[in-house]
Amino acid sequence: MKDLKLTGARPEGEKTVIEIAGVRVGEGLVVIAGPCSVETEDQTIRTAVAVKEAGAAMLRGGAFKPRTSPYAFQGLGLKGLKILDKARRETGLPIVTEVVDTRDVSWVGEYADVLQIGARNMQNFSLLREAGKSGKPILLKRGMHSTLEEWLNCAEYILAEGNGLVIFCERGIRTFETFTRNTLDLSMIPAVHSQSHLPIFVDPSHGTGILGMIEPMSLAAVAAGVDGLEIEVHIDPASALSDKDQQLTPAAFTRLMKKLRALRLFMDGLSGSDGPASESIPRARRSAEAFPDGMD
Amino acid sequence: MTLKDLREDIDRIDTRLLSLLSERMEKALMTRSFKDRIVDEGREQQVLDRARRSSRCLASPEFTVALYQDIMQESKAIQTRSPSTLGFQGDHGAYSEMAARAWDPKAATIPAREFIDVFDAVQDGFFDYGIVPVENTLGGLVGPVNSILVYSDLAIVAAVDMPVSHCLLSLPGADHREMRSAYSHSQALAQCRHFLARNRLEAMPYYDTAGAARMLAEERPGGVAVVASRFAAELYGLEIIKEDIQDSENNRTRFFVLARRPAPEEAARQAGADAPALKCSAVFFTEDKAGALFRTLEIFAHAGINLTRIESVPNKPGDYAIFIDFEGSDRDRAVAQAIDKAKAATRDFRLLGCYNETRL
Repeated sequence: MKDLKLTGARPEGEKTVIEIAGVRVGEGLVVIAGPCSVETEDQTIRTAVAVKEAGAAMLRGGAFKPRTSPYAFQGLGLKGLKILDKARRETGLPIVTEVVDTRDVSWVGEYADVLQIGARNMQNFSLLREAGKSGKPILLKRGMHSTLEEWLNCAEYILAEGNGLVIFCERGIRTFETFTRNTLDLSMIPAVHSQSHLPIFVDPSHGTGILGMIEPMSLAAVAAGVDGLEIEVHIDPASALSDKDQQLTPAAFTRLMKKLRALRLFMDGLSGSDGPASESIPRARRSAEAFPDGMD
Repeated sequence: MTLKDLREDIDRIDTRLLSLLSERMEKALMTRSFKDRIVDEGREQQVLDRARRSSRCLASPEFTVALYQDIMQESKAIQTRSPSTLGFQGDHGAYSEMAARAWDPKAATIPAREFIDVFDAVQDGFFDYGIVPVENTLGGLVGPVNSILVYSDLAIVAAVDMPVSHCLLSLPGADHREMRSAYSHSQALAQCRHFLARNRLEAMPYYDTAGAARMLAEERPGGVAVVASRFAAELYGLEIIKEDIQDSENNRTRFFVLARRPAPEEAARQAGADAPALKCSAVFFTEDKAGALFRTLEIFAHAGINLTRIESVPNKPGDYAIFIDFEGSDRDRAVAQAIDKAKAATRDFRLLGCYNETRL
């Protein structure tokens, strides 16, 4: 991974801390929670209040949705952004929302604190460049069929535009396994920590697509040293317009947050007596030459 | 041509109809200062005759006459209610009108073309009051207004200090991705320069913020947004794309409310903790010699009176009108004495008014 001029790990192993409206990402555990889609003002604000109560640091919510089918709910667009803006004013939670179109980048940037680039757009290079120019923090999800090296290079596109505020987010990859929606690749937590100075989050909601697996996978991610989690929470999951089977209720999310805090405290105690585990992972396991350009 | 096109045309026409109707009511209210009583049968008959004769539309003459009877009925009702009239410069939806409504929600706010028209109409009795902007935190002195104030005989009866929140407005349902340009007053465009640049909107200067909103609502050009107030959005049925788009948070404008006579004593004497601040404004000239201005200002310093504004406005070459605002009322002994001393030390010292200042 020799071409990672800006994204690669620093010689002394220093980590980048990204400050977003008072929330420091890269220090401690930061949880982003909220509905898959912004559906109504009431649903969004009630969910925002509930996740804040439970201890979430930021609010997520989709206004522009990349859906498998063109006939599925595409999101409220600009109206959704205005609702998120209102939720921020009511709760003080910074907003994370996805941008899918280069023409929307500046507008989403006017409302959101963090722009999310979804798995399907990870290698949309013109979108990456626009996101880089916006100067806004970017939550870069891993493409469902992308290698670590491809992923890191996508971050490099954003950093090359002068925007160093990139947060990685593992959300599961396609494997031959069909039981889960995706195979959540938790090995990416220590992998990103060894190869880059930027923080990494995990999205167990899309990573598994199964309600009962969100808690164990979140705990496993925390045990593996993740910097944060992005979890879908809906005030009434049964009535959700998208992803209704993988959104937690506020009550379930509150229980999960309690366990996460306890585990994080326990893990901090463990790492106090030992050096970071990533020391033993080689800096660059494979060279770029092994995968010449133009393969895709 | 589609149904949608035709309905857009109808929306355009309705916007113009309503704005004309509003203008008609305003003019009728202003006839008050020429008439002894509200009803003038001769004039009414004249209006109805014309409506009947010039009815060239699809609607029947009976409908047109009935419509006009309704309009005149409402017009007379407004005249009977006799709200005070408050003139402002610009189109309906202007920031001045917002300030006017904050000062007196019941007054009839009526637009005038230029600042001088506001002054003249108050002077001539067509408006009971006029409201004009005097200074802005980003733009500084509103030059034309202050130049008129130097020689105006009107009294300042109130001041309003209001935050200016610019909004980006579009036609309802317009796609934000299609917007290419933003129309507004050059001052408003300058205050949103970074926002417009970030979103690749070309700044198109227009004579007035609310005028731009009105143009968008009436003409419906494609790819156009305007920068104006939330109030203008409501008035012209436009959609607010984004609020608070100004680059600096500290954007405030201060307005003076003017009348022919000074504010009555009881109005300027509201007691209580949340009563608006009491202020006075004056204008004077000093002799062209060392320390002349200093010695005038010194009078207020010695009396312990806080000056809140000092501005100079060029009068003739080498001659400046000096505006001062200070805290207190001319009914306070210390203030009255300081004013007397200042009158002796300056040329043409004129107290423009002692008034309540409302901060919004």
